[in-house]
Amino acid sequence: MIQLDRINRAEALRWLGGAHVVPDSRMNMLLDEAEAALLRAARPKYLYKITELPCEMLTHGTDMPKHLEGCNRAVILCATLGAEVDRLIRISQLTDMPRAVVLDALASAMIEQICTEIDALLAQQLPRAYFTFRFSPGYGDYPLRLQRDFLRLLDAPRKIGLTTTDSLLLTPSKSITAAAGISDKPVPRGRRGCAVCNLRETCAYRRKGSHCGF
Amino acid sequence: MDFKTLLNQKDFVLLDGAMGTLIQKSGAHYEHSPETLNITAPELITSFHRAYIDAGADIIYANTFGANAYKLDGSGFSVAKIIGAAMQNAHAAADGRALVALDIGPVGMLCEPAGTMTFDRAYDYFCEQLKAGSAADVIVLETMTDLLELKAAILAAREHTDKPILATMTFERDGRTFTGVSPAAFALTATGLGVDALGVNCSLGPDELEPVVMEMTKYTDLPLIVKANAGLPDPNSNTYNILPDRFAACVAALLPYGVKIAGGCCGTTPDYIAKLRGMLADRRYTPCPKTTDTAVCSASVVVEINGPRIIGERINPTGKKVFRQALLDNNIDYILTQALEQINGGAEILDVNVGHPEIDEEQMMTRVLREIQSVCAAPLQIDSTKPTVLEAGLRRYCGKPIVNSVNGEEKSLSAVLPLVKKYGASVVGLTLDENGIPQTAEGRFAIARRIVERAEALGIDRRDVYIDCLTLTVSAEQDACRETLTALHRVKTELGCKTCLGVSNISFGLPNRELVNSVFLTMALEEGLDLPIMNPNIASMTGAVRAYRVLAGIDRHAADFVAAYNDAPAQPVRQPQGDTDLFTAVYSGLKSEGAAATERLLEHEDAMMIVNERLIPALDRVGADFEHKKIFLPQLIQSANTAQVCFEVIKKHLGKTGGGSVSKGKIILATVKGDIHDIGKNIVKTLLDNYGYTVVDLGRDVDPQLIADTAVAQNITAVGLSALMTTTLKSMEDTIRLLRETPALQHPDGSCRVKIMVGGAVLTEEYAAKIGADYYCRDAKESVDTAKRIFGQ
Repeated sequence: MIQLDRINRAEALRWLGGAHVVPDSRMNMLLDEAEAALLRAARPKYLYKITELPCEMLTHGTDMPKHLEGCNRAVILCATLGAEVDRLIRISQLTDMPRAVVLDALASAMIEQICTEIDALLAQQLPRAYFTFRFSPGYGDYPLRLQRDFLRLLDAPRKIGLTTTDSLLLTPSKSITAAAGISDKPVPRGRRGCAVCNLRETCAYRRKGSHCGF
Repeated sequence: MDFKTLLNQKDFVLLDGAMGTLIQKSGAHYEHSPETLNITAPELITSFHRAYIDAGADIIYANTFGANAYKLDGSGFSVAKIIGAAMQNAHAAADGRALVALDIGPVGMLCEPAGTMTFDRAYDYFCEQLKAGSAADVIVLETMTDLLELKAAILAAREHTDKPILATMTFERDGRTFTGVSPAAFALTATGLGVDALGVNCSLGPDELEPVVMEMTKYTDLPLIVKANAGLPDPNSNTYNILPDRFAACVAALLPYGVKIAGGCCGTTPDYIAKLRGMLADRRYTPCPKTTDTAVCSASVVVEINGPRIIGERINPTGKKVFRQALLDNNIDYILTQALEQINGGAEILDVNVGHPEIDEEQMMTRVLREIQSVCAAPLQIDSTKPTVLEAGLRRYCGKPIVNSVNGEEKSLSAVLPLVKKYGASVVGLTLDENGIPQTAEGRFAIARRIVERAEALGIDRRDVYIDCLTLTVSAEQDACRETLTALHRVKTELGCKTCLGVSNISFGLPNRELVNSVFLTMALEEGLDLPIMNPNIASMTGAVRAYRVLAGIDRHAADFVAAYNDAPAQPVRQPQGDTDLFTAVYSGLKSEGAAATERLLEHEDAMMIVNERLIPALDRVGADFEHKKIFLPQLIQSANTAQVCFEVIKKHLGKTGGGSVSKGKIILATVKGDIHDIGKNIVKTLLDNYGYTVVDLGRDVDPQLIADTAVAQNITAVGLSALMTTTLKSMEDTIRLLRETPALQHPDGSCRVKIMVGGAVLTEEYAAKIGADYYCRDAKESVDTAKRIFGQ
């Protein structure tokens, strides 16, 4: 059980397109209200499984195997904020679009935070292990279609209500599937970045010579 | 022995324990899904069944939980093959000693609108399983989390077999399923749909299920099922924390709630079932009759009709020009806003009527019900004069609805009541027939009695018939009011039915209608009105109901009343600054200041000049600041919303002075087929709206043909498409191709008259060009710039 009592605002503000501005008081009011509503609506749930390598599922493409180089195990995980968050954002889109946009950004930040908490949990359980970044279906050339295999392996539809659509969108939408390598020796952490990002062509940060922080 | 005999002869029926747990413990290897073991290791599966029968199970679940076409995709086996083998294995083990259940779990994808699986698609998956499992004695629908998906499964089962149906859902610690279904709503809905037993499986350990079972039993007289997990799993060792003895003891504690059927889910083994058998051996089943009066529900909210409840009447095109236009334009958001407003106003149930000669009412009804249910938890009343529309709505409604309506005419009774029975709804009964509305209370009462008798003959509980004694206009027939109220009183006291009444007709043709309406409402409440159908947005009317509930002792300690009137947010109401100029108001997103400033300017300035020289430049400045990352996206939208309010003021003014229209052009927006993440499209819509364009919003997951047809029908020259995922870019490409190839959208020279703009996270300028789009929009702001280019302003 992971419970958050704050959401990473800096991260949310980045989604909202103003990385370098300090939010004014009106913006902060919006954020306060939306954060409280989101924390009430969210039912974070997650599953993970540690698997020995090689694992067939993680051999597709070249980017995932490269990501797992030097690792002898991997953790396969998924997490979701639950269906109520989608509903909250939907209703806000009808009644209060600015609030909906803020909720959406905060929820994206929150699911990342949940995954970071899972990382911490794993690090605690495997104190002598080293981990790579999380790498998800759809990153680089790792096929998005494996989304379904991740969910099946973890029994995610049954255990936490996480499913995909035919077009491989995760539902509920504020959800993540990912794999991270586990090694007995230190591994370079810089393996997630622009090179494998699907947004690299359109990224607003890259156009300014910056990056989003991943 | 069949299931019904078993149920009648035995105090308790014992189910089996987990299949998955035994498979896991055995270390058996399988490819893809555990159901494939039916074919690759039939002896193993048969031995598990046998172990459960030896432990005492009266019914075993065949190993078919995930054997649907969606989940088996890629396994190399067909549904028929797997289920056929599973049936053989189970029957071989049972050999007459136990009944065999076809076990059906959820499909594995989410139903619309949260996901993309349609009701009909879910229904088809279940039908395939049911056909393949025709050798089963019992149909089990289990581990369900979505009430609509469960409903599809129940209907599939009822329409393809006459076998008994056992339905169980899985609940979380917060007492809800993953999708938010409450035990009460489940019990009410499944009972209405005619299952033979219902209950809970999987979920938690039996030690934590008391609240769930207690809630279910209030809403049903059916025997309850408990098939709980062996407590909670340890994520590392995958062992469960409740051992067989304690498991049996915990189940024993649930028996007083009417539990008659018990077994085990994840983590349980034959030992658990043996202990259950031992525990049940010297106990007697005690039925636990439901304690609630009639109720209706959505998936998450149950409204018990145990006092006056407001039914909101606003979702109805009759006499509403804007509403009619919204129907014609497919403007579902408008209807959804109406729904949410009524809930805020105090409605607890919403009437939904979308009848209009120029639209496909069946299709619109199912769509509107679905969309309303995605944003609003209130139970709904399906309102149509056409039985086909009622059935289309009833089939796909999630929960237990009200049907509006049946009347005393033979044609109506024989068409509507069977639908009410089949789908387990409540129904409004109008006291009129072939001869019209009887003048007297006596005549209306007689029709009411006839409706109730006919309903009961079909097995509909009379408490689920809500009689409407019909309000007539008092300015035309002054004494009719008394007849209505007398009839209402008699129906309530002599027939024991609930009553409903449309209220506002009473005052037609009189001044101060609100006053007349609210006094009439109060009189009717005192005569026993349960369900006023009215406009909840009128404070005095809703107030009358709330006050009545206090004075009649229904709202105990006036808790609801106080909550409605005393718990207003403590924030001070911000007084609009009287002299804020238009630019500042728009820039800072201050709506009331913006409206006031516009009003002031209109006194001495030309409307179009205000638009072009004040509003648009202010918006441009906001846009530029957003682009330069000086402000955040919500602020851009707030400013745009404020501009919208100003545009409205100007539109109103132009309406008065007969000036020109301010719409700059009409644009279709849609999120492409397969894509349901539409916040980006909605942001673009808000901005385009605010900048003075008319948006025809076709929603999300939109079929290419609908986009092309709408473009033709509404003579549209600009289409905006959004796609979030790489997987749905293909749909975008298909849509563009269809638009380009539709003859009715071509100029004489064969070129397409529609300009297509596209956007979405994974799209690039190059890719947009490659799939044939005219414009690529990086963000919402660029969409507005593009619209300006397309429409030349």
